[in-house]
Amino acid sequence: MSAARIRTALGPAAILLAITAALGVANAAPATPWRHVYLVPVVLAGIRFGVAGGLVAALGAVLAFGPFVLREIEGHGPTRAAAEGIVTLVVLAVSGAAVGSLAARARRQRERYDTLRAVQRALADPAPLDRTAARLASVLTQRLRVDAVGLVLDDGRVVAGADHVDPRSVAAYVLAHREPIFVIDAGTGSRARRVVVVPLTSAGETVGVLAVERLGDFSREERDALVGFGAALGLALDNARLAARQRRFAEELEQKVSQATARLAEMDRLKSDFVALASHELRTPLTALQGFSELLATRAFAPTEVRRLADIMRAEIERLGRIVSDFLDLSRLERGLTPSIRRAVLDPAPLIAAAVELFRRTRTSHRLELHVDGTLPHVDADADALDRVLKNLIGNALKYSPPGSCVRVRARATEGIVAVDVEDEGPGIPPEERARIFEPYYRMRDTAALGHGTGLGLSVVKSLVEAHGGTVHAEAASGTGTRMTVMLPALP
Amino acid sequence: MYAITDPWVPPTRGLLSGMPMPLLLVLGVLTASAGALAAAELVPLTPARAVGAGGAQGALLAMAVTWARSEPRRRAAPLIAAIVVFVGAVGATLSPFGAIAYLAAPVWLWRQRDRLPAFGLARPPIGICAAGAALGALLGAHLLLTASLTLGYGVRVPTAAHLMSWLAYDAGANVLTSEAFFRGALLDRAQRRWHFAMASAFVTLLSLARYFVDPLLPHSLEVMAGAVFYLTLLSLANCWMYWCSGSIVPGIAAGVVFFACYRLLHVVS
Repeated sequence: MSAARIRTALGPAAILLAITAALGVANAAPATPWRHVYLVPVVLAGIRFGVAGGLVAALGAVLAFGPFVLREIEGHGPTRAAAEGIVTLVVLAVSGAAVGSLAARARRQRERYDTLRAVQRALADPAPLDRTAARLASVLTQRLRVDAVGLVLDDGRVVAGADHVDPRSVAAYVLAHREPIFVIDAGTGSRARRVVVVPLTSAGETVGVLAVERLGDFSREERDALVGFGAALGLALDNARLAARQRRFAEELEQKVSQATARLAEMDRLKSDFVALASHELRTPLTALQGFSELLATRAFAPTEVRRLADIMRAEIERLGRIVSDFLDLSRLERGLTPSIRRAVLDPAPLIAAAVELFRRTRTSHRLELHVDGTLPHVDADADALDRVLKNLIGNALKYSPPGSCVRVRARATEGIVAVDVEDEGPGIPPEERARIFEPYYRMRDTAALGHGTGLGLSVVKSLVEAHGGTVHAEAASGTGTRMTVMLPALP
Repeated sequence: MYAITDPWVPPTRGLLSGMPMPLLLVLGVLTASAGALAAAELVPLTPARAVGAGGAQGALLAMAVTWARSEPRRRAAPLIAAIVVFVGAVGATLSPFGAIAYLAAPVWLWRQRDRLPAFGLARPPIGICAAGAALGALLGAHLLLTASLTLGYGVRVPTAAHLMSWLAYDAGANVLTSEAFFRGALLDRAQRRWHFAMASAFVTLLSLARYFVDPLLPHSLEVMAGAVFYLTLLSLANCWMYWCSGSIVPGIAAGVVFFACYRLLHVVS
């Protein structure tokens, strides 16, 4: 009992003693009007301390006033004064219990209202649900004057009171059966540990359970109040959970919009770069064609020189053709269409050998090796598309490899697949960029200086290979360099 | 937290389960035989009273120890409890100072304190013990005042030997066995199946019955009415103190002081 409560209790006790002393000194009869003053400490104690206080004060009054009545009965028998004294004793006892009970009930009503307000304040906190639940548990422990409070959500998550829920526990039972449970004793300590577990309901659904434990009694009124409280708490908790979900959804949405905006900005930048690059790529062969055609038109050359200039012009025209083909393929890709291919059963080995041979003749600055493991099975493919794929990959390998280095092309058959590896000794591709090199317009950083390119080649390769039901991927080669592998389904 | 982390096992033990029936039978037969032989004047009253009181109070303590012990395998404990109470009763008949033998029971209980957690003997709460003694003094003083001033009972001044023997009897048998059984054992069980108020009322009724069947209590109307009044208050208060403290020591303090006051009245032989 706190010092304040003791001080409060001293008041009624002092009044009780003072009345008794005064009646004793005055040698009062049991019917004295002053006997009614005993009601003052009884009522005060009942109001302040409830039923227990009212009863203790009434008992004190009965003990104090009783001898006056007994003495009257002993001396004069059952007189009217003795009867009035007995009635007074009864009135005191009943008053103590009644006033204490009413005061306790009023106090509990007010506490319940205050608890609901405190819970609403706790749930209004925009903090995450776990933190809100911990605060809620603290509020409930204090307000309900219990020793422990636990909250378990309908998904089995424990948000207060413990770290896990036992499937055989009272909380699990209430969660499954949606009915409140009162456990009269949950321990072996000297005082019985009472447990009340009630479902938290919202719109007819159980959204969790509230468990409270106390080393002391729960009256039926308290248990009924807890059931009602469970409904209010369930609704509030459900609202808090919905609000938390809404906040999380809004945050995710904001993050996704932000990512999409960044990606759009990146695409816009890449397209701008592409326009500049494509203009440059188109202008270079056009300039060559214009210069050589003017030379041929204005000056006379020896037949061998004319043939040389014509070869150069044809090469530039082929280059222009490749660029335009890439543009067309990209256009189809952006419209969600696959490249147009004309499939036929073909042997891939001569096609690979021809592509390697072409580069071996024209690019003498690098060594070009071809290894074909055994006999390759036939594939169902477009020969032109396959040729473009191979030339693109070999051309890239040569373009990004230092002069004098070796580019190895290896073809092999494995488990119904025809795989072609093109491996160079270039600077390699950082792991984080390996997936992005197949995106349209994407060019690796620090590669612009190494050679021409629109940033479309590999994306076209990918779309052509995928149109054949195959795959293409890049990986680090042994040592430095990159290995690009194309895998196509083989015919049985 | 029990409600969440522990498996829920509904209690299956009955309120009065686990009684040491053979021992109770022997003590019952002993007590009844002593009463019958004394009534037939076949044995002197004093030894018959000693055997009867020792048997009845030994039975209470034996039952209390059986229910309160933490090691059910120690089958000898209830028998020893009954024997130490019986030894006290017999010792008291041999000489005025023989009542000291009653203290064998509290000494034995104190030695067993760790094996009897329901009695709360290991760490009795000093504050509540003092409150218990004060309550006993208040009720005792009120009893003396009421009985002497209104009912005309005289108050005697005891000799040291009398006072010592009263205190030894109450502390070692009368109050000790009542508190051990009614609070440490019966209330401890009852509060685990009913509300405290109901458990207390049940225990108080039984403890009143224990005094009313006691042939040593004067059976005049005013004494009976007074016994109902004071013993009800004392029992309820002791239940409350046990509920608060988990120890029977405050109840023993209240009971010993109250009965010491009670024995000052001339009505008591």
